[in-house]
Amino acid sequence: MSNHHFHFVKHFFATNGCTVLKESPSQLQVQLTNDMDEQIMNRPFYWHYMKKMNREGDPMQLTFTEDRSVDGIYLHAGTPKLHTLYRTAMKNGKTARLYEATSSKGALTPWLVINFFLHFRGKQTKNEHMSLGLNLVNGAFVHHMMDRLENFSFEQKVSDYTFPMTPIIQLSSAYKRIEGYVEQYAGTLNHDWARESHEQWQQEQDLLESFYSSGDLSEDYYKNEKEQLSKRYVPRIEMDVINGGLFYLSQNSNQGILQSGS
Amino acid sequence: MFEIHPDKTFFHELQESLNQAEHLADWESFKLSFAASKFKSIPQFDGLLSLEHLPHVDFLEHQIEAAQKVIHEMNGRAILADEVGLGKTLEAGLILKELMIRGAAKKVLILTPASLVNQWIQELNEKFYIQAASPRKKQAAWQDWDITVTSIDMAKRQGHREEILSIPYDLIIIDEAHKLKNHQTKNYQFVQSLQKTYCLLLTATPIQNKLSDLFNLVSILKPGYLGNLTDFKKKYRNNKDDSKGVEHIHSLVSQLMIRNRRRDTGLNESKRKVVNERLSFTEEEQSWYNQLTSLKGEQNSFTWLTLAKEFCSSREACFMSLKEMVKKMDKEKAEHFIGLIEQLEQLPHHVKAKRMVELIEQEGGKFIVFTEYRATQFYLQWFLQQHGISSVPFSGKFNKSKRDWMKQLFRDKAQVLIATEAGGEGINLQFCHQMINYDLPWNPMRLEQRIGRIHRFGQDQDVKIYNFGIQNTIEDHIMNLLYEKIEMFRNAVGDLDLILEKLPGGSFDEHIKTIVRESESEGEVDIKLNNLVSYVEYSVNERRESS
Repeated sequence: MSNHHFHFVKHFFATNGCTVLKESPSQLQVQLTNDMDEQIMNRPFYWHYMKKMNREGDPMQLTFTEDRSVDGIYLHAGTPKLHTLYRTAMKNGKTARLYEATSSKGALTPWLVINFFLHFRGKQTKNEHMSLGLNLVNGAFVHHMMDRLENFSFEQKVSDYTFPMTPIIQLSSAYKRIEGYVEQYAGTLNHDWARESHEQWQQEQDLLESFYSSGDLSEDYYKNEKEQLSKRYVPRIEMDVINGGLFYLSQNSNQGILQSGS
Repeated sequence: MFEIHPDKTFFHELQESLNQAEHLADWESFKLSFAASKFKSIPQFDGLLSLEHLPHVDFLEHQIEAAQKVIHEMNGRAILADEVGLGKTLEAGLILKELMIRGAAKKVLILTPASLVNQWIQELNEKFYIQAASPRKKQAAWQDWDITVTSIDMAKRQGHREEILSIPYDLIIIDEAHKLKNHQTKNYQFVQSLQKTYCLLLTATPIQNKLSDLFNLVSILKPGYLGNLTDFKKKYRNNKDDSKGVEHIHSLVSQLMIRNRRRDTGLNESKRKVVNERLSFTEEEQSWYNQLTSLKGEQNSFTWLTLAKEFCSSREACFMSLKEMVKKMDKEKAEHFIGLIEQLEQLPHHVKAKRMVELIEQEGGKFIVFTEYRATQFYLQWFLQQHGISSVPFSGKFNKSKRDWMKQLFRDKAQVLIATEAGGEGINLQFCHQMINYDLPWNPMRLEQRIGRIHRFGQDQDVKIYNFGIQNTIEDHIMNLLYEKIEMFRNAVGDLDLILEKLPGGSFDEHIKTIVRESESEGEVDIKLNNLVSYVEYSVNERRESS
């Protein structure tokens, strides 16, 4: 099992408490839990019926493969079931409040971590995957926050002998700071895409205007088209949050992150 | 230079979750969510991300190029006008998928002839992993479905129309868009009033007859792009003196239209052999036809034209029309026609039907027979059965399950499929490679659509086409002038439709109908048709010289 889709699928089922029944170089067989079956198998009537009859239910097994000639769900970038897993994972991990699991004593520093896409939209589209951390005590910003946290352990309960510090920066103003930071960051990027899109918008608007002024176009249609042109061409950057939450870090970790990045 | 739209909903959600701890994720779920989001990455402006999502479809080079061009150069509004059988639907699906992946299309409406609705839904699902729905109820929930497929007729019905017009669609796809060539029709106006950001128009024959058809299609995509219709027509009328003007229009249109031809795509391996079969009426049949011709003065000539064409197809087709006519006549006149009907009933089996059976028995294998008339369709089915040849009828008007069933019966059991014109679009029968055009349509482009059913992507044998025509009848003229000569030009220049579109003074169909209607004798018909064909020939030569 080599490709990254497989890696994700394994990660997904392990996180959601499903057992791997069989794993070979070309196949992965998983036993779903009731909860997972309900979330990803799209058979609401079955589960509704089972619950009504007060019965256990029989969750399904799934087999994934990366070899098209083998039985099972063939995994590639477009596999519909894989997309169901993506959506389920994104839904289940949207918000968090986590405390670093540590044996040391003392105060834990609060951070706001926001992961998001910046969608660049206009004539053409692309996006950028970003992860920002904001220290809620001293206001420091850190990029690639998830990479830095990757190998830490976090729990939903605070560890013994530690206590969370109260944020000095209020959550709502912290979020505003992040928005402000994004705006500033966007300003530093190359704007050719926006310029091109803007030019195209101007051109097509001029064409529409001149046609409208020649009287061949109803006002409704003109307005509709004008709006469509701005939808297609007005360059904009949309921030789209994937997930985010409050993370409390031990003094040691806090220092490490502050020193490593900015 | 650009606006920034912050995410306004997330903060609220976070606050709520922090107050209700059961909605909060653990560390593994949080990491998993972040990892999952990477599937939404769009690392660059260019290229097609959708290809990676669809490894089970073998797209052809020209299809991939078309999708690239529509998305990155034409900015999502285009006419897809590949020749029949080159996979316009695949191109449209690929564009749709790409726009969806790039987050540019969420709300999508696909308008197609009613007979193709289910085929679209099936293809989107199987080839593109896109779940589409076709709401049918009186009060259908168009808002609830992201991707909907329906016919224009359904969409503009009361109860649907208002809702559909109120939805700001990201993408609208219109299949068989040549049906929208007339800007005065209700369908055209309906389409024009839809709210659409991106738009694809699919047609194999973007210019069926005249350049103004194309003007109207372009106006859906980019109003004003070709100026206004009056000026456009003026320019076009003067094209003899102003061929530069026309060329200018062509180069403008090419910015909006993709037109792949069979010969450019390497799909030529399967060859096409066309045989024009000239048949003669028996004496009785000929004399009946002559009687009909002599009545031409009494009827309006359009009726005569219909009857003559019908009689060249089958006694049955002509019989039905005559019966209807007699009902509306006064007694004296009717008597004459009743006599004619009685004679008609006495005639032997149609010469074409006999030839058809002979050919099928001689060649063996599967055949598709195209006729223009339902009465002929019934007759031929009966006639084949008399000769122990199994056949199934086909019409585009059949519902989805019946069409699939007939197609399956034809593939697995029956030898012959008898289709009416309405069955010409959107059905793929590559497993058959022989076709009889039992009667010929006026417009050679329509014949091309029929042939496209079998001579298309996936056909691995040479294709044989038999065109039937009866000597000394109206069909003779059609075959002689419209088919043989024009077919010859096609071989010479390839892109016949580009030439037919340049004919001044009305559509190709109309030209022919006017000629037949307004001529007093067969001789006059001949001369006028000849003139028309000469004009086409002249344009062909001119074009060849200039290229």
